Amino acid sequence: MAHTAQVTIELMFPSELGYEKIARDAIGTLATRMGFDAERVEDLRTALSEACINAIEHGNQRQSHLRIHIACTISANRLVIVVSDEGLRFHPASLNEPASIEEKLAGLASARGMGLMLIGQLVDECGFLPSRPGQGNHFRLAIYNPPRRNAVPA
Amino acid sequence: MIDDELKVSTRQRDGVWIIDLEGDVTTFAEDAITSAYEEVTREGAKYIVMNSRQSDYINSAGIAILIGVVTEVNRQGQKLAISGLSAHFQKIFRMVGLAQYADIYASEDEAVSAMKQLAAQSQEESASA
Repeated sequence: MAHTAQVTIELMFPSELGYEKIARDAIGTLATRMGFDAERVEDLRTALSEACINAIEHGNQRQSHLRIHIACTISANRLVIVVSDEGLRFHPASLNEPASIEEKLAGLASARGMGLMLIGQLVDECGFLPSRPGQGNHFRLAIYNPPRRNAVPA
Repeated sequence: MIDDELKVSTRQRDGVWIIDLEGDVTTFAEDAITSAYEEVTREGAKYIVMNSRQSDYINSAGIAILIGVVTEVNRQGQKLAISGLSAHFQKIFRMVGLAQYADIYASEDEAVSAMKQLAAQSQEESASA
């Protein structure tokens, strides 16, 4: 795909686990068509799935009538994705360091809670955009072509 | 359309118990994976291979289920290997640290062969003790 200006693609779905697979497939296809290589597309697919799961489970508390909104902004060398929920509760994991695998295996921490850590390792930039409680959580992730793995997180 | 379909089955090969996972490994897989693990444990499994077949989607909730299995494997003194993961999911398993606690092999054949070797070493150690 050739781009002379920014283009935005949006996607909305209910807060039910499983719908993140639709987002993952759609945006994986988009990234492939933008020219990202297969490994980076796989990384993005996993990172996006985790961002959606956080929004479904934490932001919207799995209330299916609430929506998850995804906005993809495409430019020549960059794909920026913002995953938004309706923010019933501020994402708690954004405030805490993830537990180690040793703590999880010892039963000292939940086996869950790896999503943000994984996302941080799979994309070039990621982070929550500023928002107030009740206004929804907005999580931004971006990949560049070529990669900018050492870029300052968003 | 969005239902997670995971088929889980168990079988024995050369004294090693195999748990085949076919489909998505997500939060919906917990009962099926835990039941299969409990079943092979009841059968006396000491060496277990969790064999992923056509699992295109494994998320952190699915990995959390496998961490639960590893916890139990350690408690029971069993050995666990994981096989059949794509290169991407092998990388993901290394990132979360799971690869430190369960050996990861590209194929079932490699995993079974490694487990048989471990079983043989264990028998030799018992014999010489």
